[in-house]
Amino acid sequence: MRFLRVNMTDQTIRSEEVAEAYKTLGGRALTSIMVQSEVPATSDPLGPENKLVFAPGYFTGTTLVNTGRLSVGAKSPLTGGIKESNVGGTVAFSLARLGIAAVVIEGQCADTSFFLHIEADGSAGLVEADHYQGMRTYALVEQLRQIYGDKKSITCIGPAGDMQLLSASIQSTDLDGRPCRAAGRGGLGAVMGAKGLKALIIDQGGKTAAEIADSESFKTAARSYAKAVKEDEFSGQILPELGTAALVEPINAAGAFPTRNARVGQFEGAEKISGEAMAELIKSRGGRTTHKGCSQCIIDCSNVFVDKKGDYVTSSLEYETIWSMGGMIGNDDLDSIARLDFLCDDIGLDTMNTGVAIGIAMDAGYRSFGDGTAAIALVEEVATGSEIGRAIGNGPVAVGKYFNHDRVPTVKGQSIAAYDPRALQGMAVTYATTPMGADHTAGWVVAQNLEAFGGTINPHKAEGQVELSRDSQIHMAAVDSVGICDFAQSGLASEEGMANVHTMYAAKSGLSFAGDDWRELGVKVLKAERAFNRGAGFTAKDDRLPSMFYTEPLPPYNVVVQVSDEEMASTFDF
Amino acid sequence: MYVRLKLLGTLSSCYPGHYPPAGLNIEIAAGATVADLVERSGIAQERVAIVTINGVLAKAGDRVPENAVVKFMQPVTGG
Ligand code: SF4
Repeated sequence: MRFLRVNMTDQTIRSEEVAEAYKTLGGRALTSIMVQSEVPATSDPLGPENKLVFAPGYFTGTTLVNTGRLSVGAKSPLTGGIKESNVGGTVAFSLARLGIAAVVIEGQCADTSFFLHIEADGSAGLVEADHYQGMRTYALVEQLRQIYGDKKSITCIGPAGDMQLLSASIQSTDLDGRPCRAAGRGGLGAVMGAKGLKALIIDQGGKTAAEIADSESFKTAARSYAKAVKEDEFSGQILPELGTAALVEPINAAGAFPTRNARVGQFEGAEKISGEAMAELIKSRGGRTTHKGCSQCIIDCSNVFVDKKGDYVTSSLEYETIWSMGGMIGNDDLDSIARLDFLCDDIGLDTMNTGVAIGIAMDAGYRSFGDGTAAIALVEEVATGSEIGRAIGNGPVAVGKYFNHDRVPTVKGQSIAAYDPRALQGMAVTYATTPMGADHTAGWVVAQNLEAFGGTINPHKAEGQVELSRDSQIHMAAVDSVGICDFAQSGLASEEGMANVHTMYAAKSGLSFAGDDWRELGVKVLKAERAFNRGAGFTAKDDRLPSMFYTEPLPPYNVVVQVSDEEMASTFDF
Repeated sequence: MYVRLKLLGTLSSCYPGHYPPAGLNIEIAAGATVADLVERSGIAQERVAIVTINGVLAKAGDRVPENAVVKFMQPVTGG
């Protein structure tokens, strides 16, 4: 395996053997440890010292199912801290099959834009791309496919990234070749824009087999893992049928569906935008409710949303976007939500940060809650570069400043996700303390707060939430490092499943991997990330939620965040 | 007395025949609890993780009032 280092300042490309320290790392472990050791914490995230690292998971490229995940890491211009943003599609698998453990984009080219083309033999070159500046992602991918052919994985930015806006995403093509999978969080599209890189074009014809020390053991454990994923009701039946939108009803039931800029926790229009309603609508129009979005997937949580005429609108319409462009802005119209999802992918924007930004503008009275047409117009404004468009594209904090409005549901500058921290107190701990800024995947502790008719832990109380979030954050840091999709975690939910993961790690690395090694991997990642953030000037005071969550009781259960500052500070007592 | 039971996720597939999107009208004894209703529905208890009565989270021992709208939801995982 090798690293491909691309220096944008002098446009040189260097291929190097993976250094010893990184040999058994992948995904988030690799991006975070590399960013921590190679990027000065105080550097300008949009300057030449920052590095943008693309790394497939440690298991990506093997026979293990659902490992087509790519970690994108850098210093975030949105949070000012370290970032790992995770995306599916085909790019991670393509890179792994070319024997590439990471593509590291260094330096900066401020006046010219390039494509990075990596060919089937592993050779790479920069191609001048000024002509494509400002182009939206669907049009760009269409043109690139005409030039380079269909057998390419494309990872690119849209106008938002070109303009270096703080909610800019990095879009990646799915198995159908559409740029609809997003590394949305942290504004990493702006880092890519600042580097002068418009797209990575990666050949899908790589033939490098994954290096596995004991391939028989690996295969046996991988088969057993896949069986567990298939047998689990959520990953084996619900996700293929309804997608992640299956969460709308349960989270709304929990009063944790932030509605109208998190003024209430239940949305009266939830039944109209639920997974059940969406599946009915998609089926009645001839779209697809079960769709494979990423390489090696056996769950197929993706969908293809079509309009009344049966024409493509977007893929995949997911829970977080249904919330951010639905409940958060008071919009119960699935068609406009789907259109907003498409526009965000096309312009290259994080749907969460953007929906929350629009929610704040509506809360400030700029437009009315529930007006999907106005929301569409606001997202279109982003691509024009107008003053309000730039504010929306720079996210919730920028919009709060623009309207002098203080109800801004962010942590470290990044919007919360689709779980209100007051009704699910464990999510308060995760949002506040993760080095990533408010991020649900960093430590998703929803299940324990809701299972068994009201939770095995009280969702409205602080007790046990710090421990729950800590364990989940450590676990997720490891999951993101091996490249297993969140939704395939059913494979490791049992002791036997975890043993399979240990076996696969040991079988691939040729080293022993057992007992606490998984936890130690997660802790190592979190320690690197926290060290970077401390260097960037973060203190315990940054591990807090905005005051609205402590002072405004959330209907219908009328709760505020109960977790004290001291408890928050104890999350990373390790 | 009657209550309206809505089965979400893939639970509706447990119901033989056509499942009406508006839910099922189910007769239960006065004073019946959520646990009783789960049993009455014939769905294995471990498949039901979240229950609401008229939109509010309910526990296994909570009584179900007449004409209530009750929703059954499955365990969630992921993120
Ligand atoms: S379950 Fe969904 S997100 Fe995960 S790999 Fe499959 S299509 Fe991608």
